[in-house]
Amino acid sequence: MKRSHLIAAFAIFILSLLVPLVVQTGYLLQILFRVYLFAALGLAWNLIGGYAGQLSLGHAAYFGAGAYGLALFPGKLGISPWIAVLMGVIVALGCALLIGGVSFRLRGPYFVLATIAFAEVLRLIAKNLPDVTGGDVGVQVPGLFHGNVNRAFYWAAVVLTALAFATTVAISRARFGYYLMAIREDEDTALSVGIGAARTKLAALMVSAVLTALCGALYASLFLYVVPDQVLSIDVSNEIAIVAMLGGAGTVLGPIVGSVVLESASEIFKNIFKEAHLLIYGVLLVVVVLFLPEGIVGTLAARLRRRALFGGIKASAKGVANN
Amino acid sequence: MDLYAALQAVINGVLTGALYALVGMGLALIFGVMRIVNFAHGAFMMLGMYATYVLFTRTGISPYLLFIVAGIMLFGVGYAIYYGLLRPIHGKSDFMQILLTLGIGLIATDGVLLIFGADYHQINIPLLGKNLHLGPHIAVNAPWVVSFVIAVAVALGLYLFVTRTMAGRAARAIAQNRYSAPLMGINVFRVQATSFAVGIAAAGIAGGLLLPVFYIYPQVGDQFTLKAFVMVVLGGMESIVGAALAGLVLGVVESLTSLYWGNEWALAVDFVIFLLVLSLKPSGIFGRQKA
Repeated sequence: MKRSHLIAAFAIFILSLLVPLVVQTGYLLQILFRVYLFAALGLAWNLIGGYAGQLSLGHAAYFGAGAYGLALFPGKLGISPWIAVLMGVIVALGCALLIGGVSFRLRGPYFVLATIAFAEVLRLIAKNLPDVTGGDVGVQVPGLFHGNVNRAFYWAAVVLTALAFATTVAISRARFGYYLMAIREDEDTALSVGIGAARTKLAALMVSAVLTALCGALYASLFLYVVPDQVLSIDVSNEIAIVAMLGGAGTVLGPIVGSVVLESASEIFKNIFKEAHLLIYGVLLVVVVLFLPEGIVGTLAARLRRRALFGGIKASAKGVANN
Repeated sequence: MDLYAALQAVINGVLTGALYALVGMGLALIFGVMRIVNFAHGAFMMLGMYATYVLFTRTGISPYLLFIVAGIMLFGVGYAIYYGLLRPIHGKSDFMQILLTLGIGLIATDGVLLIFGADYHQINIPLLGKNLHLGPHIAVNAPWVVSFVIAVAVALGLYLFVTRTMAGRAARAIAQNRYSAPLMGINVFRVQATSFAVGIAAAGIAGGLLLPVFYIYPQVGDQFTLKAFVMVVLGGMESIVGAALAGLVLGVVESLTSLYWGNEWALAVDFVIFLLVLSLKPSGIFGRQKA
């Protein structure tokens, strides 16, 4: 990433923070909140799913850990909501250690299945222990902000996206990021050149889990209420993965573009299809796999590279002809 | 009597397990043998259920005949989906198959939701009120028994298809060595399409047989996708018989869990067993040791 790109990214960040000065309607701000929240989630997922190539379909586990951490710890331990957010992050880290410990020994579809099964077990536990979690009825979540909440939550989501973006940029340029990509391309070769694949993947998953848990806490605090089928459901896991895959897994910008496209599409189709709005996710998945396997950003980038390459060849051919 | 309750639970578990087995055998053929990662398997079961449901409400013919129609319809659906969607991404990574079939499953589930609504339905057939008494303490519901008998017959047919027919042999040959199989004159795409369609037809038939004894709603198949993978892994990947046995085991385990801990824990126990097997003995309980 060049200096000019960094300046552009910073300018977009500042502009995003200024949006509530123009957009005052709560409804619009909530949609924008969702766009940024899922951009942050997609970026978090991208670290493990995109860069390391480990398709997790169980990120609801970390999302739910963050949400339930904020919901349960203040009441049970009498601590402030912000410390509860941190505790939720620690729980998510514990989940990541457990899930990573078991499932990183598995490859391909087995890894995917293990991540789903873990998240499902957590959802069922949350459902079936009403004394602890409120069960299916759910539990109240303390508000993190007061006053003009829509604006505050929007800002928080923008800051989280910026944090996830900065983390992604830093990792993609560091040795750690190259290790992850090496593991994605060929795990056996990566091992043979001395990359500790298990440790590297686990580290990436833990970073991803921290960011995802923060998003979960923010989401829960906006709705002031959580139920297992909402924050721990497979639909959350799927949506996070679709955002990243649609935009372009393994690219810095992909998840952000993916979130803008998916969340606007789902907002439009929500009114048409009502409860069947997951239909659009299904259609997008099929379209991405068949026509955009590298996602929107990945495909565009490949096309630009090709144009640059062929443009160069054409120019030099012209040069030869002129001589 | 506690013992009778346990025995009753085991019998109920076996009856349910036979239907699970059918779903699991279908996926064993698709995923275990053909290595197509089908995340829409439960959705296809649901489609079989809805096909039977619609035909039953329109014609009034017994679901115990209509399941055949559902099976044929899903065979067609499977064939079309293989050639239309799966073949174009042949040779790409597993993740592409996972995402594609996940998408197909979402389209099927939410398409049905859009057409039929989210309501739960249950069909009413005369058989539903009848119970068979085995001694003074144990009784089984008649439709479960009929579904069980048909499921066992279909499972046997599926076993014979894989072991005795040319297509089944070709499928196993591809599983053994996908590079030399075509050299022996096997048309890989055609065999894969047939196996995929047969596996999905099995799920559809299981759906048709579940209709008389289950509630029907668009998401009914969701839990079956993961359950089917649990069966295939427990059964040892390439083994159709292993998946069938795993289906019976799962049925009994769920039934006993419901009896002692409550119905709500049954699914959680399934997944915990699955995670334990994946981490401790990835070759499956019934599978032979293989890398």
